[in-house]
Amino acid sequence: MGGWLRRLAAVLVVLACAGGVVAYQATRPPKAASDPRVFVPSPRFFLDASPAFRTAVADAYYLLMVQYYGEHVKTDMRFDSLPQMAELVTTLSPHFTRAYLFAAFALIDAGRPDVSYELLQRGWRANPGDWRFPAYAGFFVYRYGVGKEKDLVASRWYQRAAAVPGSPDYLPRLAARLAAKGGDREKAVVMWGQAYLAGDKYARRKAVEGLEQILPKEKQARMRALAPLVDTMPRAALESLLAELFRGYVD
Amino acid sequence: MSVAQSGERVETSPGGAGDGVALAVRGLRKTVHVGFWRRPVEILRGVDLTVRRGEVVGLLGPNGAGKTTTVKVALGLMRPTAGSVELGVASLSRVGYLPENPYFYEYLTGREFLAFCARLFGLGGREREERVARLLADVGLERAADVQLRKYSKGMLQRIGIAQALVNEPELVLLDEPMTGLDPVGRVEVKRIIQRLHGRGTTVLFNSHILSDVHELCSHVAIMREGRVVWDGEVAAALAQAATLEEFFMRVVGGGEAAGVAP
Amino acid sequence: MSPVVCCAPPGDPARRRDGAGLSQVGAIAANTFRETIRDRVLMVIVVFALVMILGALWLGSISLGQEGRMMKDFGLLAVTGFGLIVTVFIAASLVRKEVEKRTVFVLFSKPVSRGAFIVGKFLGLSLTAAAVLAGMGLFLFALVWAIEGRPSGMVLAATALVYLQVETVMAVTILFSTVASAILSAVLGLCVFVAGQLSDNVLSLTRLGHNAVTEAASWVVFVVVPNLTAVDVKAAAVGEQAPDWGSVALWAAYLVAYIVVALALAVAVFRRREV
Repeated sequence: MGGWLRRLAAVLVVLACAGGVVAYQATRPPKAASDPRVFVPSPRFFLDASPAFRTAVADAYYLLMVQYYGEHVKTDMRFDSLPQMAELVTTLSPHFTRAYLFAAFALIDAGRPDVSYELLQRGWRANPGDWRFPAYAGFFVYRYGVGKEKDLVASRWYQRAAAVPGSPDYLPRLAARLAAKGGDREKAVVMWGQAYLAGDKYARRKAVEGLEQILPKEKQARMRALAPLVDTMPRAALESLLAELFRGYVD
Repeated sequence: MSVAQSGERVETSPGGAGDGVALAVRGLRKTVHVGFWRRPVEILRGVDLTVRRGEVVGLLGPNGAGKTTTVKVALGLMRPTAGSVELGVASLSRVGYLPENPYFYEYLTGREFLAFCARLFGLGGREREERVARLLADVGLERAADVQLRKYSKGMLQRIGIAQALVNEPELVLLDEPMTGLDPVGRVEVKRIIQRLHGRGTTVLFNSHILSDVHELCSHVAIMREGRVVWDGEVAAALAQAATLEEFFMRVVGGGEAAGVAP
Repeated sequence: MSPVVCCAPPGDPARRRDGAGLSQVGAIAANTFRETIRDRVLMVIVVFALVMILGALWLGSISLGQEGRMMKDFGLLAVTGFGLIVTVFIAASLVRKEVEKRTVFVLFSKPVSRGAFIVGKFLGLSLTAAAVLAGMGLFLFALVWAIEGRPSGMVLAATALVYLQVETVMAVTILFSTVASAILSAVLGLCVFVAGQLSDNVLSLTRLGHNAVTEAASWVVFVVVPNLTAVDVKAAAVGEQAPDWGSVALWAAYLVAYIVVALALAVAVFRRREV
């Protein structure tokens, strides 16, 4: 009698414990947003302590950065440690392009376009063969920059991006448009000329449209405005462009 | 042959153990240093032992008498503090040895282990295969030849140990407790092996605590006590002084000369 | 028949008579390889390593399109870590286990020299390490190929050079095991690996010393600790700086020489020891 009572008591105790465990887990409130201030070691520490594993450490902190951004963008929109994480990852792995680009956009959300811009510049210095860095820098300057010069600065960035082999063909057009918008018509004309030269049929049409928007209508003034192209375009291409720009003009 | 001063390692000179002698040990001393303070402990205190060719000699003594150490020094596994050892064989490759409580490579099969031992003696190809097969048959392990040694019983390990001691067809065989762990059938097989070796003229020296086996197999015994050989002679001579070898042994190790035991 | 004289020091060349040295080395190496590769603990560790490499796939899934890079970095980390654990712990117990289990008596009662024993053990374990690392490296290579759609030769090159680093640590661990216990040898072996990653820092220390004694001590440590980072190309596998192969080749030769010295020391020490 005593035996089965003891067994029953043991079973009841175990069931009660199991029930308590399940109930506790099931009714746990969702995790509150963690502290946005995270300890991020200095890159120097890892470069000294584990040079052979720096890219693995960079990857680990990159994943942490992605999770950190993901968590806080849904909760408190606070990214206090994001600049340090971005600096750590990109210092340990200067060719980790994705990390720069992700961090650059994430830092905009963090209200730090200045850090974002500086990060892209650093990325460009470390990866001069990647057109995305100057292109995004140009975009950030255009979108978030202040001051009268921002369009011209953005245009210069797009121009640098366009000079990288393999870059998209719309970059010269962007550079030209921004130069015109920034008030540097001469530069814009040259850029449109380059876009006409380097592009296909579509790009040439766009170049003609772009020039039409900034050139004076009066023939002589138009010709003076196009003078910079004489030194920057081959004769045959220039004649073709001029033929389109002066179609309908009477001598 | 020079005898070293205390503390020096002996310088031996070639000159022979003498005809008909397989093993000659003279004045062998061995001191080891134990513990944190490296306290010197003298294990061998001047061992003198002669084993003649073709004999089967039993080396007896209580635990800690120095039997195993004597054998190890004879094989060069340990350096003597003083004294000399001379082997009456062409080289160490003519000697076979079974250590006490042998342990072998767990993940090798019996066949692989013997083949490995044979390779160490430079045996190759077909000769090695045939020798291994014959040895496995001799020790009754043909059916377990391809089983890993970790699955062997103690007795099977003892038998493979004897097989590896014989892989080079030695002229002198040193066996340390060859009967340990064997069931009666195993002991009979080992005794037969030793008798076969004796029949072929192989010299055998073995340590054992099983005095009935010693009585059965040996023509000659040496009894050690506290690092010395205290009695050395034929089995018949021992039995002339006591009813059984056990009784003789107890008298020798219990008091030796003082107990009136004649050499 | 003239008697042979016993009791020359163990390991003395005069002791080793018949039995060609190289064939003994080969026999011990083959034996060691068979013993170690069949060890079930080794299999468990290798399976675990493969699972960890597969785990890098999960990390890749949260990396916003960087699956290939994550697989390479964390995969090579697993290859290095597990390769090291396997070889250091086996190397540490290789000699010690034989002494404790007394299989050395079986070996040295035959015409086997201490040198052949140490070198044979090292070569046998090298074969085992090669099998383990090759297995993990090829597995990783196949996964990276499947993810990125193209083969990455750098993954194989990085694995091969990890093998060289592990071999170096193994040789030093075997040296330690001739004088220390298995656990201590393993710990010291791992410390040598860590120190080998910090060789450049030790060099800096030699230039910071304010007195001759610390500078000299730093120099000794710098020379003694193997420079393992010089043959590390893991960063190149994920697109960081391309390695200078000429320099890597020279440093690889340095590590081979280092291994030879470590083994020679191990043989010299083991010869002096009674087993």
